[in-house]
Amino acid sequence: MYPLRLFLKYFQLTLKVTLQYKFDRVLIAAAVMIREMAGVIILILMLNRFVMIKGWQIDEILFLYSFLFLSYSLFVFFFTGIRDFEDLVYSGEFDRFLVRPVGILFQVIASKVDYTAALGHGVLGIILLQKTASQLGIEWTASGILFYILMLLGGALIQASIFMIASTFCFWTVRTTNLRNMLFFNSRKIAAYPLSFYPGLIQKFLIYVIPFGFVNYFPAQYFLKKPEMNEFWSGFMFLNPVVAAVLFALVCLVWNYGLKHYSSTGNALY
Amino acid sequence: MRAYLKIAQKSFRNNLVFRAEYFAALLNTIVTILVNLAIWRAIYEEEGGLDNLQFSLIVTYVILALALFQIFTMDEYVIEKKIKSGLITSDLLKPLSFRLHLFSFHFGALLYRIVLLLIPTLLLYSLVYRVLPPFSIEMFLCFLLSVILGYFVMYSLNFIVWLSAFWFYKTFSLVTIKDTAVLVLSGAVIPLWFMPQQLVHFIKLTPFDTIFFIPISIYLGQIPMDQLLFSLLRQVIWITVLGLIGHVLWKLATRRLIVQGG
Repeated sequence: MYPLRLFLKYFQLTLKVTLQYKFDRVLIAAAVMIREMAGVIILILMLNRFVMIKGWQIDEILFLYSFLFLSYSLFVFFFTGIRDFEDLVYSGEFDRFLVRPVGILFQVIASKVDYTAALGHGVLGIILLQKTASQLGIEWTASGILFYILMLLGGALIQASIFMIASTFCFWTVRTTNLRNMLFFNSRKIAAYPLSFYPGLIQKFLIYVIPFGFVNYFPAQYFLKKPEMNEFWSGFMFLNPVVAAVLFALVCLVWNYGLKHYSSTGNALY
Repeated sequence: MRAYLKIAQKSFRNNLVFRAEYFAALLNTIVTILVNLAIWRAIYEEEGGLDNLQFSLIVTYVILALALFQIFTMDEYVIEKKIKSGLITSDLLKPLSFRLHLFSFHFGALLYRIVLLLIPTLLLYSLVYRVLPPFSIEMFLCFLLSVILGYFVMYSLNFIVWLSAFWFYKTFSLVTIKDTAVLVLSGAVIPLWFMPQQLVHFIKLTPFDTIFFIPISIYLGQIPMDQLLFSLLRQVIWITVLGLIGHVLWKLATRRLIVQGG
Protein backbone atom coordinates (compact mmCIF):
# COMPACT_ATOMS: atom_id res chain seq x y z
CA MET A 1 0.00 0.00 0.00
CA TYR A 2 3.02 2.23 -0.35
CA PRO A 3 1.66 4.26 -3.33
CA LEU A 4 -1.56 4.96 -1.45
CA ARG A 5 0.33 6.16 1.62
CA LEU A 6 2.46 8.35 -0.57
CA PHE A 7 -0.62 9.70 -2.30
CA LEU A 8 -2.13 10.64 1.05
CA LYS A 9 1.11 12.34 2.04
CA TYR A 10 1.05 14.36 -1.17
CA PHE A 11 -2.60 15.11 -0.54
CA GLN A 12 -1.74 16.51 2.88
CA LEU A 13 1.04 18.63 1.43
CA THR A 14 -1.03 20.14 -1.37
CA LEU A 15 -3.76 20.90 1.12
CA LYS A 16 -1.27 22.71 3.33
CA VAL A 17 0.00 24.69 0.36
CA THR A 18 -3.55 25.72 -0.48
CA LEU A 19 -4.41 26.69 3.07
CA GLN A 20 -1.32 28.87 3.31
CA TYR A 21 -3.26 31.76 1.82
CA LYS A 22 -6.71 31.09 3.20
CA PHE A 23 -8.35 34.39 2.34
CA ASP A 24 -7.03 34.46 -1.20
CA ARG A 25 -8.05 30.87 -1.87
CA VAL A 26 -11.55 31.35 -0.50
CA LEU A 27 -11.91 34.38 -2.74
CA ILE A 28 -10.68 32.43 -5.76
CA ALA A 29 -13.08 29.56 -5.06
CA ALA A 30 -15.93 32.05 -4.79
CA ALA A 31 -14.85 33.78 -8.01
CA VAL A 32 -14.69 30.48 -9.88
CA MET A 33 -18.13 29.58 -8.61
CA ILE A 34 -19.56 32.94 -9.67
CA ARG A 35 -17.95 32.65 -13.10
CA GLU A 36 -19.41 29.21 -13.65
CA MET A 37 -22.76 30.30 -12.30
CA ALA A 38 -22.84 32.90 -15.07
CA GLY A 39 -23.24 30.11 -17.61
CA VAL A 40 -26.23 28.81 -15.70
CA ILE A 41 -27.76 32.27 -15.28
CA ILE A 42 -27.38 33.03 -18.99
CA LEU A 43 -28.99 29.71 -19.83
CA ILE A 44 -31.93 30.46 -17.55
CA LEU A 45 -32.34 34.01 -18.88
CA MET A 46 -32.31 32.75 -22.45
CA LEU A 47 -34.76 29.94 -21.96
CA ASN A 48 -37.06 30.99 -19.15
CA ARG A 49 -39.67 32.40 -21.53
CA PHE A 50 -40.38 28.92 -22.85
CA VAL A 51 -41.82 25.86 -21.22
CA MET A 52 -39.94 23.63 -23.61
CA ILE A 53 -37.31 24.02 -26.28
CA LYS A 54 -37.11 21.17 -28.77
CA GLY A 55 -38.77 18.97 -26.19
CA TRP A 56 -36.41 19.92 -23.40
CA GLN A 57 -37.50 21.44 -20.10
CA ILE A 58 -35.11 23.90 -18.55
CA ASP A 59 -34.56 21.59 -15.57
CA GLU A 60 -33.51 18.81 -17.89
CA ILE A 61 -30.93 21.05 -19.53
CA LEU A 62 -29.62 22.07 -16.12
CA PHE A 63 -29.44 18.40 -15.14
CA LEU A 64 -27.26 17.96 -18.21
CA TYR A 65 -25.12 20.83 -16.94
CA SER A 66 -24.61 19.22 -13.54
CA PHE A 67 -22.62 16.39 -15.13
CA LEU A 68 -20.20 18.96 -16.54
CA PHE A 69 -19.58 20.66 -13.20
CA LEU A 70 -19.22 17.51 -11.14
CA SER A 71 -16.99 15.68 -13.60
CA TYR A 72 -14.81 18.77 -14.03
CA SER A 73 -14.57 19.04 -10.26
CA LEU A 74 -13.39 15.43 -10.08
CA PHE A 75 -11.00 16.05 -12.94
CA VAL A 76 -9.26 18.99 -11.30
CA PHE A 77 -9.17 17.11 -8.03
CA PHE A 78 -7.13 14.29 -9.54
CA PHE A 79 -5.49 15.72 -12.65
CA THR A 80 -4.46 19.32 -11.98
CA GLY A 81 -0.85 18.26 -12.51
CA ILE A 82 -1.74 17.30 -16.05
CA ARG A 83 -3.67 20.50 -16.66
CA ASP A 84 -0.69 22.61 -15.53
CA PHE A 85 1.91 20.28 -16.99
CA GLU A 86 3.36 23.01 -19.15
CA ASP A 87 4.50 25.07 -16.14
CA LEU A 88 6.13 21.99 -14.72
CA VAL A 89 8.19 21.42 -17.86
CA TYR A 90 9.12 25.01 -18.61
CA SER A 91 10.13 25.83 -15.05
CA GLY A 92 12.43 22.80 -15.06
CA GLU A 93 10.71 21.28 -12.04
CA PHE A 94 9.81 18.24 -14.08
CA ASP A 95 13.46 17.17 -14.14
CA ARG A 96 13.33 16.51 -10.43
CA PHE A 97 10.47 14.07 -10.95
CA LEU A 98 12.64 12.04 -13.28
CA VAL A 99 15.23 11.19 -10.66
CA ARG A 100 12.82 10.07 -7.95
CA PRO A 101 12.13 6.37 -7.47
CA VAL A 102 8.37 6.65 -8.03
CA GLY A 103 6.30 6.56 -11.22
CA ILE A 104 6.51 9.82 -13.12
CA LEU A 105 2.84 10.07 -14.01
CA PHE A 106 2.03 9.28 -10.38
CA GLN A 107 4.08 12.27 -9.25
CA VAL A 108 2.60 14.58 -11.87
CA ILE A 109 -0.90 13.66 -10.78
CA ALA A 110 -0.26 13.67 -7.04
CA SER A 111 1.88 16.78 -6.80
CA LYS A 112 -0.81 19.31 -7.54
CA VAL A 113 -4.47 19.74 -6.68
CA ASP A 114 -6.50 22.79 -7.61
CA TYR A 115 -8.76 22.73 -4.56
CA THR A 116 -10.32 26.08 -5.33
CA ALA A 117 -11.60 24.98 -8.75
CA ALA A 118 -12.66 21.59 -7.42
CA LEU A 119 -14.66 23.31 -4.68
CA GLY A 120 -16.15 26.00 -6.94
CA HIS A 121 -17.32 23.56 -9.60
CA GLY A 122 -18.24 20.85 -7.11
CA VAL A 123 -20.52 22.96 -4.94
CA LEU A 124 -22.29 24.36 -7.96
CA GLY A 125 -22.69 20.90 -9.47
CA ILE A 126 -24.18 19.49 -6.30
CA ILE A 127 -26.64 22.37 -5.96
CA LEU A 128 -27.73 21.96 -9.58
CA LEU A 129 -28.02 18.20 -9.32
CA GLN A 130 -29.99 18.34 -6.12
CA LYS A 131 -32.39 20.98 -7.44
CA THR A 132 -32.99 19.49 -10.87
CA ALA A 133 -33.13 15.83 -9.84
CA SER A 134 -35.87 16.47 -7.30
CA GLN A 135 -37.66 18.76 -9.77
CA LEU A 136 -37.58 16.08 -12.46
CA GLY A 137 -38.53 13.32 -10.04
CA ILE A 138 -35.55 11.16 -10.80
CA GLU A 139 -35.61 8.10 -8.60
CA TRP A 140 -32.27 7.23 -7.14
CA THR A 141 -32.10 3.48 -7.14
CA ALA A 142 -28.85 1.80 -6.15
CA SER A 143 -28.03 1.04 -9.77
CA GLY A 144 -28.87 4.62 -10.75
CA ILE A 145 -26.48 6.07 -8.19
CA LEU A 146 -23.78 3.65 -9.22
CA PHE A 147 -24.34 4.54 -12.86
CA TYR A 148 -24.15 8.27 -12.12
CA ILE A 149 -20.89 7.94 -10.19
CA LEU A 150 -19.38 5.72 -12.87
CA MET A 151 -20.32 8.28 -15.51
CA LEU A 152 -18.72 11.09 -13.50
CA LEU A 153 -15.50 9.11 -13.16
CA GLY A 154 -15.56 8.33 -16.87
CA GLY A 155 -16.27 11.96 -17.66
CA ALA A 156 -13.35 13.12 -15.54
CA LEU A 157 -11.09 10.63 -17.28
CA ILE A 158 -12.24 11.74 -20.74
CA GLN A 159 -11.46 15.34 -19.86
CA ALA A 160 -8.12 14.30 -18.39
CA SER A 161 -7.28 12.55 -21.66
CA ILE A 162 -7.95 15.70 -23.64
CA PHE A 163 -5.63 17.67 -21.39
CA MET A 164 -3.03 14.95 -21.38
CA ILE A 165 -2.79 14.71 -25.14
CA ALA A 166 -2.14 18.45 -25.21
CA SER A 167 0.49 18.15 -22.47
CA THR A 168 2.34 15.55 -24.53
CA PHE A 169 3.37 18.28 -26.94
CA CYS A 170 5.45 19.84 -24.16
CA PHE A 171 7.99 17.06 -24.62
CA TRP A 172 8.73 18.49 -28.03
CA THR A 173 8.62 22.04 -26.63
CA VAL A 174 5.55 22.95 -28.63
CA ARG A 175 3.15 25.25 -26.85
CA THR A 176 -0.45 24.23 -27.38
CA THR A 177 -2.08 25.71 -24.30
CA ASN A 178 -4.13 28.26 -26.20
CA LEU A 179 -5.33 25.79 -28.78
CA ARG A 180 -6.12 23.27 -26.05
CA ASN A 181 -8.07 25.77 -23.97
CA MET A 182 -9.97 26.88 -27.02
CA LEU A 183 -10.91 23.34 -28.04
CA PHE A 184 -11.67 22.19 -24.52
CA PHE A 185 -13.64 25.11 -23.15
CA ASN A 186 -15.60 25.68 -26.33
CA SER A 187 -16.54 22.01 -26.44
CA ARG A 188 -17.60 22.29 -22.85
CA LYS A 189 -19.73 25.33 -23.64
CA ILE A 190 -21.36 23.47 -26.52
CA ALA A 191 -22.01 20.45 -24.31
CA ALA A 192 -23.96 22.60 -21.86
CA TYR A 193 -26.96 22.39 -24.22
CA PRO A 194 -28.44 19.18 -25.66
CA LEU A 195 -26.60 17.91 -28.73
CA SER A 196 -29.83 17.92 -30.72
CA PHE A 197 -29.79 21.74 -30.65
CA TYR A 198 -26.84 21.77 -33.01
CA PRO A 199 -26.24 21.03 -36.68
CA GLY A 200 -24.93 17.55 -37.52
CA LEU A 201 -21.34 18.63 -37.94
CA ILE A 202 -21.08 19.96 -34.40
CA GLN A 203 -22.80 16.82 -33.07
CA LYS A 204 -20.25 14.60 -34.82
CA PHE A 205 -17.44 16.77 -33.50
CA LEU A 206 -18.62 16.24 -29.91
CA ILE A 207 -18.95 12.50 -30.43
CA TYR A 208 -15.89 11.57 -32.45
CA VAL A 209 -13.33 14.37 -32.10
CA ILE A 210 -13.64 15.89 -28.61
CA PRO A 211 -15.96 13.29 -27.06
CA PHE A 212 -17.79 15.61 -24.69
CA GLY A 213 -21.08 14.01 -25.71
CA PHE A 214 -20.12 11.05 -23.57
CA VAL A 215 -19.45 13.24 -20.56
CA ASN A 216 -23.00 14.48 -20.17
CA TYR A 217 -25.43 14.14 -23.08
CA PHE A 218 -25.48 10.36 -23.49
CA PRO A 219 -25.21 9.42 -19.80
CA ALA A 220 -28.03 11.84 -18.98
CA GLN A 221 -30.28 9.97 -21.41
CA TYR A 222 -30.23 7.03 -19.03
CA PHE A 223 -32.17 9.17 -16.55
CA LEU A 224 -34.15 11.43 -18.88
CA LYS A 225 -35.09 8.89 -21.58
CA LYS A 226 -35.65 11.45 -24.33
CA PRO A 227 -37.28 10.21 -27.55
CA GLU A 228 -34.60 12.03 -29.56
CA MET A 229 -32.11 9.40 -28.40
CA ASN A 230 -33.48 7.25 -31.25
CA GLU A 231 -31.37 9.29 -33.64
CA PHE A 232 -28.26 7.85 -32.04
CA TRP A 233 -27.18 4.32 -31.38
CA SER A 234 -28.68 3.41 -28.01
CA GLY A 235 -25.41 1.85 -26.86
CA PHE A 236 -23.91 5.35 -26.69
CA MET A 237 -25.70 5.69 -23.36
CA PHE A 238 -23.40 3.17 -21.72
CA LEU A 239 -20.26 3.82 -23.73
CA ASN A 240 -18.79 6.47 -21.42
CA PRO A 241 -16.51 4.14 -19.40
CA VAL A 242 -15.33 2.41 -22.58
CA VAL A 243 -14.53 5.70 -24.29
CA ALA A 244 -12.77 6.90 -21.15
CA ALA A 245 -10.69 3.75 -20.72
CA VAL A 246 -9.68 3.42 -24.37
CA LEU A 247 -8.91 7.11 -24.72
CA PHE A 248 -6.89 7.25 -21.52
CA ALA A 249 -4.92 4.13 -22.41
CA LEU A 250 -4.12 5.49 -25.86
CA VAL A 251 -3.10 8.86 -24.49
CA CYS A 252 -0.87 7.19 -21.88
CA LEU A 253 0.92 5.33 -24.67
CA VAL A 254 1.54 8.57 -26.55
CA TRP A 255 2.63 10.26 -23.32
CA ASN A 256 5.17 7.55 -22.58
CA TYR A 257 6.43 7.77 -26.12
CA GLY A 258 6.84 11.52 -25.74
CA LEU A 259 8.63 11.08 -22.43
CA LYS A 260 11.38 9.14 -24.20
CA HIS A 261 11.95 12.14 -26.42
CA TYR A 262 12.09 14.60 -23.58
CA SER A 263 15.18 16.70 -23.21
CA SER A 264 15.20 19.18 -20.39
CA THR A 265 14.67 22.88 -20.94
CA GLY A 266 17.70 23.14 -18.72
CA ASN A 267 16.75 25.87 -16.29
CA ALA A 268 15.46 24.67 -12.99
CA LEU A 269 14.11 27.72 -11.22
CA TYR A 270 14.09 26.17 -7.80
CA MET B 1 2.81 61.97 -28.39
CA ARG B 2 5.30 60.20 -30.67
CA ALA B 3 6.40 58.00 -27.81
CA TYR B 4 2.85 56.85 -27.14
CA LEU B 5 2.26 56.11 -30.81
CA LYS B 6 5.43 54.04 -30.80
CA ILE B 7 4.19 52.09 -27.78
CA ALA B 8 0.88 51.39 -29.52
CA GLN B 9 2.72 50.33 -32.66
CA LYS B 10 4.99 48.02 -30.68
CA SER B 11 2.05 46.43 -28.93
CA PHE B 12 0.31 45.95 -32.29
CA ARG B 13 3.37 44.21 -33.73
CA ASN B 14 3.91 42.20 -30.58
CA ASN B 15 0.54 40.60 -31.12
CA LEU B 16 1.39 39.81 -34.73
CA VAL B 17 4.30 37.61 -33.68
CA PHE B 18 2.20 34.91 -32.11
CA ARG B 19 0.58 33.28 -35.12
CA ALA B 20 -0.76 30.21 -33.33
CA GLU B 21 -2.37 32.37 -30.70
CA TYR B 22 -3.94 34.49 -33.39
CA PHE B 23 -5.60 31.54 -35.08
CA ALA B 24 -6.77 30.19 -31.74
CA ALA B 25 -8.37 33.56 -30.98
CA LEU B 26 -10.00 33.83 -34.41
CA LEU B 27 -11.36 30.32 -34.21
CA ASN B 28 -12.58 31.01 -30.70
CA THR B 29 -14.55 34.04 -31.87
CA ILE B 30 -16.07 32.18 -34.79
CA VAL B 31 -17.00 29.12 -32.74
CA THR B 32 -18.48 31.14 -29.88
CA ILE B 33 -20.76 32.97 -32.29
CA LEU B 34 -21.67 29.75 -34.10
CA VAL B 35 -22.70 28.04 -30.87
CA ASN B 36 -24.78 30.97 -29.69
CA LEU B 37 -26.52 31.23 -33.04
CA ALA B 38 -27.28 27.50 -32.97
CA ILE B 39 -28.97 27.91 -29.59
CA TRP B 40 -31.01 30.92 -30.75
CA ARG B 41 -31.96 28.96 -33.85
CA ALA B 42 -33.23 26.12 -31.69
CA ILE B 43 -35.29 28.62 -29.69
CA TYR B 44 -36.79 30.31 -32.74
CA GLU B 45 -37.53 27.02 -34.47
CA GLU B 46 -39.62 26.26 -31.42
CA GLU B 47 -41.58 29.45 -32.03
CA GLY B 48 -41.69 28.79 -35.79
CA GLY B 49 -40.28 32.21 -36.57
CA LEU B 50 -37.04 31.47 -38.37
CA ASP B 51 -37.80 33.71 -41.35
CA ASN B 52 -39.14 36.75 -39.62
CA LEU B 53 -37.41 39.98 -38.79
CA GLN B 54 -37.09 39.12 -35.12
CA PHE B 55 -34.72 36.29 -35.92
CA SER B 56 -32.56 38.45 -38.21
CA LEU B 57 -32.50 41.03 -35.47
CA ILE B 58 -31.22 38.57 -32.91
CA VAL B 59 -28.69 37.10 -35.36
CA THR B 60 -27.28 40.55 -36.04
CA TYR B 61 -27.29 41.35 -32.34
CA VAL B 62 -25.45 38.17 -31.35
CA ILE B 63 -22.80 38.51 -34.06
CA LEU B 64 -22.12 42.16 -33.27
CA ALA B 65 -22.18 41.72 -29.51
CA LEU B 66 -19.85 38.73 -29.39
CA ALA B 67 -17.49 40.21 -31.98
CA LEU B 68 -17.28 43.43 -29.96
CA PHE B 69 -16.92 41.42 -26.77
CA GLN B 70 -13.89 39.68 -28.23
CA ILE B 71 -12.14 42.88 -29.25
CA PHE B 72 -12.92 44.58 -25.94
CA THR B 73 -11.04 41.90 -24.00
CA MET B 74 -7.79 43.24 -22.60
CA ASP B 75 -4.71 41.83 -20.97
CA GLU B 76 -5.94 42.17 -17.39
CA TYR B 77 -2.72 41.44 -15.58
CA VAL B 78 -0.31 44.08 -16.92
CA ILE B 79 -0.25 46.14 -13.72
CA GLU B 80 -0.26 43.10 -11.46
CA LYS B 81 2.74 41.62 -13.27
CA LYS B 82 4.58 44.92 -13.14
CA ILE B 83 4.04 45.23 -9.41
CA LYS B 84 5.06 41.65 -8.81
CA SER B 85 8.25 41.95 -10.82
CA GLY B 86 9.00 45.44 -9.54
CA LEU B 87 9.19 46.79 -13.09
CA ILE B 88 6.56 49.36 -12.19
CA THR B 89 9.21 51.49 -10.49
CA SER B 90 11.20 51.96 -13.69
CA ASP B 91 7.98 52.70 -15.57
CA LEU B 92 7.05 55.38 -13.05
CA LEU B 93 10.47 56.95 -13.39
CA LYS B 94 10.15 57.34 -17.14
CA PRO B 95 9.27 60.84 -18.35
CA LEU B 96 5.95 59.49 -19.61
CA SER B 97 2.55 59.34 -18.02
CA PHE B 98 2.13 55.77 -16.85
CA ARG B 99 -1.60 55.80 -17.48
CA LEU B 100 -1.18 57.01 -21.06
CA HIS B 101 1.58 54.49 -21.52
CA LEU B 102 -0.77 51.75 -20.37
CA PHE B 103 -3.56 53.00 -22.57
CA SER B 104 -1.32 53.13 -25.64
CA PHE B 105 -0.36 49.54 -25.00
CA HIS B 106 -4.00 48.48 -24.91
CA PHE B 107 -4.85 50.69 -27.83
CA GLY B 108 -2.29 48.93 -30.02
CA ALA B 109 -3.76 45.59 -29.05
CA LEU B 110 -7.26 46.93 -29.79
CA LEU B 111 -6.27 48.01 -33.30
CA TYR B 112 -4.78 44.59 -33.88
CA ARG B 113 -8.02 42.94 -32.81
CA ILE B 114 -10.12 45.23 -34.97
CA VAL B 115 -8.09 44.57 -38.11
CA LEU B 116 -7.39 40.88 -37.65
CA LEU B 117 -10.33 39.60 -35.59
CA LEU B 118 -13.32 41.87 -35.93
CA ILE B 119 -13.26 42.48 -39.68
CA PRO B 120 -12.68 38.83 -40.75
CA THR B 121 -15.36 37.62 -38.33
CA LEU B 122 -17.94 40.13 -39.51
CA LEU B 123 -17.16 39.42 -43.17
CA LEU B 124 -17.46 35.69 -42.66
CA TYR B 125 -20.77 35.88 -40.84
CA SER B 126 -22.32 38.42 -43.18
CA LEU B 127 -21.74 35.88 -45.96
CA VAL B 128 -23.28 32.98 -44.05
CA TYR B 129 -26.16 34.67 -42.23
CA ARG B 130 -28.59 37.40 -43.07
CA VAL B 131 -27.03 40.24 -41.09
CA LEU B 132 -29.11 43.38 -41.04
CA PRO B 133 -27.47 46.57 -42.31
CA PRO B 134 -27.39 49.59 -39.97
CA PHE B 135 -30.78 51.15 -39.42
CA SER B 136 -29.72 54.34 -41.21
CA ILE B 137 -26.51 56.21 -42.01
CA GLU B 138 -27.03 58.66 -39.13
CA MET B 139 -27.61 55.75 -36.78
CA PHE B 140 -24.46 54.08 -38.05
CA LEU B 141 -22.42 57.17 -37.22
CA CYS B 142 -24.04 57.31 -33.78
CA PHE B 143 -23.24 53.61 -33.42
CA LEU B 144 -19.56 54.22 -34.13
CA LEU B 145 -19.46 57.03 -31.60
CA SER B 146 -21.27 54.88 -29.08
CA VAL B 147 -18.89 51.95 -29.59
CA ILE B 148 -15.95 54.21 -28.86
CA LEU B 149 -17.68 55.50 -25.73
CA GLY B 150 -18.49 51.91 -24.77
CA TYR B 151 -14.84 51.00 -25.06
CA PHE B 152 -13.91 53.82 -22.71
CA VAL B 153 -16.52 52.72 -20.16
CA MET B 154 -15.06 49.23 -20.28
CA TYR B 155 -11.52 50.56 -20.04
CA SER B 156 -12.19 52.81 -17.06
CA LEU B 157 -13.98 49.99 -15.29
CA ASN B 158 -11.10 47.62 -15.98
CA PHE B 159 -8.57 50.21 -14.85
CA ILE B 160 -10.18 50.38 -11.41
CA VAL B 161 -10.02 46.60 -11.09
CA TRP B 162 -6.40 46.51 -12.26
CA LEU B 163 -5.45 49.14 -9.68
CA SER B 164 -6.64 46.87 -6.90
CA ALA B 165 -3.34 45.04 -7.47
CA PHE B 166 -1.68 47.83 -5.49
CA TRP B 167 -3.57 46.69 -2.40
CA PHE B 168 -4.25 42.98 -2.94
CA TYR B 169 -1.26 41.94 -5.14
CA LYS B 170 -3.44 39.24 -6.72
CA THR B 171 -6.36 40.36 -8.83
CA PHE B 172 -7.58 37.08 -10.32
CA SER B 173 -10.73 36.84 -8.21
CA LEU B 174 -11.74 40.47 -8.69
CA VAL B 175 -11.05 40.31 -12.43
CA THR B 176 -13.09 37.12 -12.71
CA ILE B 177 -16.03 38.58 -10.82
CA LYS B 178 -15.90 41.73 -12.95
CA ASP B 179 -15.75 39.66 -16.16
CA THR B 180 -18.76 37.66 -15.05
CA ALA B 181 -20.74 40.79 -14.25
CA VAL B 182 -19.91 42.26 -17.64
CA LEU B 183 -20.75 39.03 -19.46
CA VAL B 184 -24.18 38.70 -17.89
CA LEU B 185 -25.28 42.29 -17.38
CA SER B 186 -23.85 44.09 -20.41
CA GLY B 187 -26.00 42.31 -22.95
CA ALA B 188 -22.94 40.65 -24.48
CA VAL B 189 -24.73 37.32 -24.74
CA ILE B 190 -28.41 38.08 -24.22
CA PRO B 191 -30.06 41.34 -25.27
CA LEU B 192 -31.62 43.20 -22.39
CA TRP B 193 -35.05 43.01 -23.97
CA PHE B 194 -35.19 39.30 -23.06
CA MET B 195 -34.43 39.93 -19.42
CA PRO B 196 -36.97 40.28 -16.63
CA GLN B 197 -38.11 43.87 -16.04
CA GLN B 198 -36.67 44.15 -12.53
CA LEU B 199 -33.26 43.05 -13.68
CA VAL B 200 -33.33 45.61 -16.48
CA HIS B 201 -34.21 48.35 -13.98
CA PHE B 202 -31.23 47.30 -11.91
CA ILE B 203 -28.90 47.17 -14.91
CA LYS B 204 -29.93 50.68 -15.93
CA LEU B 205 -28.44 51.90 -12.67
CA THR B 206 -25.08 50.34 -13.49
CA PRO B 207 -22.56 51.12 -16.23
CA PHE B 208 -22.74 47.62 -17.70
CA ASP B 209 -25.37 48.09 -20.38
CA THR B 210 -23.55 51.15 -21.74
CA ILE B 211 -20.70 48.90 -22.89
CA PHE B 212 -22.39 46.68 -25.48
CA PHE B 213 -26.15 47.01 -25.29
CA ILE B 214 -26.46 50.72 -26.09
CA PRO B 215 -24.17 50.73 -29.16
CA ILE B 216 -25.80 47.67 -30.69
CA SER B 217 -29.33 48.90 -29.97
CA ILE B 218 -28.41 52.09 -31.80
CA TYR B 219 -27.12 50.08 -34.75
CA LEU B 220 -30.37 48.15 -34.93
CA GLY B 221 -32.46 51.30 -34.55
CA GLN B 222 -34.01 50.00 -31.35
CA ILE B 223 -33.51 53.22 -29.43
CA PRO B 224 -36.07 55.93 -30.22
CA MET B 225 -34.75 59.32 -31.36
CA ASP B 226 -35.69 61.11 -28.13
CA GLN B 227 -33.79 58.59 -26.01
CA LEU B 228 -30.73 58.47 -28.22
CA LEU B 229 -29.10 61.53 -26.74
CA PHE B 230 -29.86 60.36 -23.23
CA SER B 231 -28.22 56.98 -23.94
CA LEU B 232 -25.07 58.61 -25.26
CA LEU B 233 -25.10 60.93 -22.28
CA ARG B 234 -25.27 57.97 -19.91
CA GLN B 235 -22.13 56.60 -21.51
CA VAL B 236 -20.33 59.91 -21.05
CA ILE B 237 -21.46 60.15 -17.44
CA TRP B 238 -20.18 56.69 -16.65
CA ILE B 239 -16.84 57.39 -18.30
CA THR B 240 -16.53 60.51 -16.13
CA VAL B 241 -17.57 58.76 -12.92
CA LEU B 242 -15.42 55.68 -13.42
CA GLY B 243 -12.56 57.80 -14.72
CA LEU B 244 -12.68 59.96 -11.59
CA ILE B 245 -12.69 56.94 -9.30
CA GLY B 246 -9.75 55.54 -11.24
CA HIS B 247 -7.94 58.85 -10.95
CA VAL B 248 -8.37 59.07 -7.18
CA LEU B 249 -7.36 55.42 -6.71
CA TRP B 250 -4.31 55.97 -8.88
CA LYS B 251 -3.20 58.92 -6.76
CA LEU B 252 -3.67 56.86 -3.60
CA ALA B 253 -1.96 53.82 -5.09
CA THR B 254 1.19 55.53 -6.26
CA ARG B 255 1.58 57.15 -2.88
CA ARG B 256 1.66 53.82 -1.07
CA LEU B 257 3.42 51.64 -3.64
CA ILE B 258 5.06 48.60 -2.11
CA VAL B 259 7.10 46.48 -4.46
CA GLN B 260 7.88 42.86 -3.74
CA GLY B 261 11.37 42.34 -5.06
CA GLY B 262 12.67 43.92 -8.20
